[in-house]
Amino acid sequence: MTLRRHHLTPWYFLALPLAMYLVWVLMPIAQSMLFSLTDRSSILFGRRYVGLANFFRLFNDRIFHLALLNNLQWMVAFVLLPIPIGLAIAMFFNQNYPGAKYFKTAFFIPMTLSYAVVGTIWVWIYHPSFGALNTTLRAVGLDQFARQWLGDPRYMTRALILVGIWRQVPYVMILYIAGLKNVPEELVEAAMIDGASWWQRFRSVVLPMLRPATIVAITISIIDSLRAFDIVWVMTNTQARAAEVLATYMYSSSFQFQDYGYGSAIAVVQFFITLGFILFYVNHTLKSEHDL
Amino acid sequence: MKRTGMLVLLLTLVALFAFAGGGRETGTDAQRTLTINSYMSDEAPRQAFAALVADFEARNPDIRVVVNTTAHEQFKTLLPTWLTSRQAPDVVTWFAGYRMQAFADQGLLEPLTAAFPGTSFQDAFPEAFVRASTHNNTIYFVPQSWYWWAVYYNRQVFDRLGLQTPNTWDEFLQVSAALRNAGIEPIAIGARDTWTAGGWFGALNAAMNGIEFHLDLTSGRVPYTDPQMRRVFETFADLNTRGYIMRNATSYSWQEAATLLFNGQAGMYLMGQFIKDVAPENVRDNIDFFRFPSFGRPGYAVETPIDGFMVPRNAQNKEDAMRFMAYLATRESQELFTVPLGRLAANKHVPAPNPDARRGLDMVLGAEGATQFYDRDAPEEMAARGQNALIEAMQNPARIPQILTELDQDRQRIHR
Repeated sequence: MTLRRHHLTPWYFLALPLAMYLVWVLMPIAQSMLFSLTDRSSILFGRRYVGLANFFRLFNDRIFHLALLNNLQWMVAFVLLPIPIGLAIAMFFNQNYPGAKYFKTAFFIPMTLSYAVVGTIWVWIYHPSFGALNTTLRAVGLDQFARQWLGDPRYMTRALILVGIWRQVPYVMILYIAGLKNVPEELVEAAMIDGASWWQRFRSVVLPMLRPATIVAITISIIDSLRAFDIVWVMTNTQARAAEVLATYMYSSSFQFQDYGYGSAIAVVQFFITLGFILFYVNHTLKSEHDL
Repeated sequence: MKRTGMLVLLLTLVALFAFAGGGRETGTDAQRTLTINSYMSDEAPRQAFAALVADFEARNPDIRVVVNTTAHEQFKTLLPTWLTSRQAPDVVTWFAGYRMQAFADQGLLEPLTAAFPGTSFQDAFPEAFVRASTHNNTIYFVPQSWYWWAVYYNRQVFDRLGLQTPNTWDEFLQVSAALRNAGIEPIAIGARDTWTAGGWFGALNAAMNGIEFHLDLTSGRVPYTDPQMRRVFETFADLNTRGYIMRNATSYSWQEAATLLFNGQAGMYLMGQFIKDVAPENVRDNIDFFRFPSFGRPGYAVETPIDGFMVPRNAQNKEDAMRFMAYLATRESQELFTVPLGRLAANKHVPAPNPDARRGLDMVLGAEGATQFYDRDAPEEMAARGQNALIEAMQNPARIPQILTELDQDRQRIHR
């Protein structure tokens, strides 16, 4: 009797969150998958199943290919840039010189702004005629580098990614600042006494100790890059054009053009791509928790 | 006890999240609430509409009107979700013709028969508007105002340079060249809002190939790979190659580009009459318009989008919505809205509010036909693709054949 009670207790606590999770997360996902097999207006007027037709259409859809490619650019950039930059800033401020706290706060500020605000600010910075970026370039005599950053299909995506990175760096920085607190000073000192150079100490002592933080930073950055939407939407006046990513294409297909079946198919593809990375992340965190 | 309190708190929070955002406030007294979702976010139409709503409330003290205003482009995205939600607003702003009929066809709109007994609807509006407001002989839409598209220009700039408003395409190119030589951007276009390219698409196609061809195209019967279509794209791209389209056009929103016209940095702007809504008081009289230049075809077409209102099938307060719809059709309410904006009222008993509107009306009456606008005559997805394609053609003219082939693949899919 008591034993059974003991077994049931956690479920009392879990019941509500699990029910909420079921209703608001799992069921919509299942529904999207179902909708991806239906034609355009099935959400409104009864389902008409079309099999995998929506997915076949993805194969020949040049805008879908563009969105995939752009998402890939986001992902590569988000792994290669914010992580080393965030780490460098974290290392720098870990030295506890006067004022470090204020600089840390300053670097953290972009993180506190919503993507919509960040996007609006950067639209002005990128403005070809009077934006801060081109004005600065012209002021230092680099006129030939002044571009129409958000109007030219060649630069759109990368200009947007830069904004994403600007907001991502502080996040990575915080992760590493927390991680650095866990690096025992004795270890570093011991390495110093053994005559290790700064670089050797960093490479062989600090970086391995930061491994968990790095894994988290990489995974979160990948996931963030895959769900890029707000910046693209705000900064292109909802017309993604050359900067299309999966999320914007999913949104415009479903909600602008009411092709819910196709939009769901894009969402399903995005879901599985993201799921792969999430599984990797969860798998890793579970394992490292086990190690402790 | 404590646990119950906790549970109540949790449930309250859940309820708050679940029901927040609806924005439906319940009246504290006997007043009933009428919710209107509007896309009139520019200051001038917003104020004119507020005056209209105040007048309606004064006439109907038992009704309290709540107007939720959403920016135009976002409104277009959100409307389908509102129409399909169970808590739909009572009245929404929208466009006559194909775009309304698509919703009516899906059964998302409430017939307005109750608001217009007998022939009162047909008595108030011209036949063409009645047609654009009905679907299968049922009224779903109350037209309120309409306007025309034309080439707006800065009169001071033209006077200073001694330029005449052009009638033909050649004259248009000459004027553009003269403006460029004077250091003025000849043609303003805020192509960050891609629909501004839609204006060019419709105007060029109708002027070069005729209104029949244009309407065949927007209804999906003509392939985009048609040589006549290619000429349209090449003509537009050529304007840019010649340097007549303002620099960095794709970085400007339509209002930002309009500012260039207002302060004389740009000479001309193909735009709807609503450009006057955003013009500052002191330059409004300096901004005039001329008909889109001719390519030598007899007759011309004008784009005349009709704006108005409809009632969602899932509206909560249909009874008062019907009263509001009946009120919207009246001469008094149409004057309240159109006179301050200098627009044309849909109600045929309202005279043109000013000489400008008189000229606009004459231009429309003299046309061989009127179109609504690319994204109103064609399915929105097709128009969105077409507008993007035209901008791409402008930035990359060498790719035009490829662009049109891709566009036609879209046509074949969208117009099944």
